[in-house]
Amino acid sequence: MIKLLHVEDDADIREIAHLALGLSGDFEVVQSASGEEALVAVQDFTPDVLLLDMMMPGMTGRQTLERMRLMPELAETPVIFMTARAQNAEVEELRNLGAADVISKPFDPMTLGEQIKTTLKAFA
Amino acid sequence: MSGLFIQGLTDNTGTGFAIGTALASTWFLLSPSILSGAAANVLPALGAIAIAGLAPVLLTKYHIRQTTSGRALSMAQRLSALDRHAMVNIVNDKHQLTEVNDLLLEMTGYSRRDLIGEQVLKLYDTPNRALALQIRSSLQRGEMWQGETPLRRKDGTMIYTHSTILPLFDSKGNWTGSISVRTDITQTRQLLADRDVSESLHELRDDIWIVRAESEKFTYVNAAARRRLGWQETGIGAHSLGDLAHQPGGKAIRAACRRMVEREETSTQFEETLFDLPFHISIKFLRDEQDDARFLIVLNDISDRVEQERRQSEFISTVSHELRSPLTSIKGSMGLMLSNATGDLPEKAVGLLEIAHRNADRLVLILNDILDLEKISAGKLEFTLDDVDMCELVREATEANLSLSERFGITLDIDCVDEAAIAVTTDPNRLMQVMNNLVSNACKFSKPGDTVTIRIRDEGDNVRVSVRDQGQGIPVPDQHKIFQKFADLANSARSTKGGTGLGLSICKAIVQSLGGTIGFTSREGNGTTFYFVLPKGHIKKEETSSEPPLRVAS
Repeated sequence: MIKLLHVEDDADIREIAHLALGLSGDFEVVQSASGEEALVAVQDFTPDVLLLDMMMPGMTGRQTLERMRLMPELAETPVIFMTARAQNAEVEELRNLGAADVISKPFDPMTLGEQIKTTLKAFA
Repeated sequence: MSGLFIQGLTDNTGTGFAIGTALASTWFLLSPSILSGAAANVLPALGAIAIAGLAPVLLTKYHIRQTTSGRALSMAQRLSALDRHAMVNIVNDKHQLTEVNDLLLEMTGYSRRDLIGEQVLKLYDTPNRALALQIRSSLQRGEMWQGETPLRRKDGTMIYTHSTILPLFDSKGNWTGSISVRTDITQTRQLLADRDVSESLHELRDDIWIVRAESEKFTYVNAAARRRLGWQETGIGAHSLGDLAHQPGGKAIRAACRRMVEREETSTQFEETLFDLPFHISIKFLRDEQDDARFLIVLNDISDRVEQERRQSEFISTVSHELRSPLTSIKGSMGLMLSNATGDLPEKAVGLLEIAHRNADRLVLILNDILDLEKISAGKLEFTLDDVDMCELVREATEANLSLSERFGITLDIDCVDEAAIAVTTDPNRLMQVMNNLVSNACKFSKPGDTVTIRIRDEGDNVRVSVRDQGQGIPVPDQHKIFQKFADLANSARSTKGGTGLGLSICKAIVQSLGGTIGFTSREGNGTTFYFVLPKGHIKKEETSSEPPLRVAS
């Protein structure tokens, strides 16, 4: 089982991602509605992969990642960003932040799990 | 010559005017309110002298006969002075010129033979004949007329005069004609106009620089420019374009000026940053009659416009992105239901879900296109160049459209004469976007069973790719707007076949940015062929011209 922490402020998108990742049965998913919530969640859950929304009220995906990187157990965890601003320049910026992948919204729920698994294999 | 004039006047005696001096003073007092500037100071005095000088003449030969020889001599001198200063003509009751002085002939270019006996209207050009008739009616009422009278020279050019025209009556009070005294104010008008232009330039909100072409030294800056440059009014000539070359805008202006000299261009314009502000800069290369070459440089601060464009661009970008979150939920929910993740659905429900899902896809495409168009109009479309094999790229594009072509019952056929690779340096992703657009369009506008042929041709320095369909063709009246945004607005096929209406205008912008050309040939009922031609070695648009980059308005 791949332990995945999904941080997304939009409840509907959280539900769809939860359903989509549940299809394969390969993921153990914990979801947070904000960066602040996610920082609390990781006290009890050490994910194998982070799926971070970029644009969130409060802490952005980038700020959340910066804080998590300060935690030794999350310093090297692969991160996949999910963004509605997936233009070339933005994607490059996120790659420079160390993103293993950038998934643009709207994403295909039927291939989400496979896409994350492929990224993790390439990252390993 | 003046003798003739005096003789002429004495022949027109019998006039009963003794108001010369009074008229002179009236003119002197009133005329400043008619005139302005330097003319207000000079012309009243001259006019008063003229009228005062004429008055004794008009006091008839009776008076002249009464004068002593000394007074007659004084009169002759005064008339001579008047004669040299002002243009004078006399008109009879039939409006025919009976007398003209030498100065009038000299100033108008006519000979006395040309004018004597002719209607006075001959001196007025057609648009001013109404004025002449207005003067005539004043005179016939016994009123003096004063004002500006443009006259037409023999060569057709205009001379602007300030005229005082007095009606003439015989001893019985019958109107016998008029006498006109005119002062040339052409130059005064020009000076006033020049002064107005100069004052306007000085007070203009835009910055104006005038710079000598050879030395690149400033000869003039208006008030706005002086404030911005922080220069003293005196000593402007000590500054040169080189003083501003440390700024991007200053450097660009100097480069543009030098290029204009080299290429003998007369004007150029571009946008650049100067003093940390965006400016629209317009440069004119001027040469005067002495071959003194200067640059007139006008700098228009476009901060407001740029800020407005930035806000608009940000708004479009924000709206497009904000729409993606609800679309993610809509598309995701429908995708999951269609894949039976929520259990089996009735067939009709699946059909309706497919329609909704397809249209959600279409909304995403429209959003992508709007973002691309926004970037194109802001000049921010990003390109990543790479060496690609055009045949391979076309094959990939064909494969990417296989499912679409199958849905429409179309066969895709690649016609690559030579199987060898055609190496092109270009942006493969953007080119794939163009190919996808052209191939999917061809499929959408074909009949089931048709073949869409994609042809690649090596043309030496260029490669030509064409996509031919066997559809209905583009009606001639619509052909000219085919690359415009939403050109197929009236075409119902778009909603059923899934186009955004923006694809071709994006294709055109991409191909042109990659240094190529795009076009089509179409015959109604006989299919359409879209093609693009790209240089094999990418030429950036900027490299084809050393002009400073211009913003392209969308």
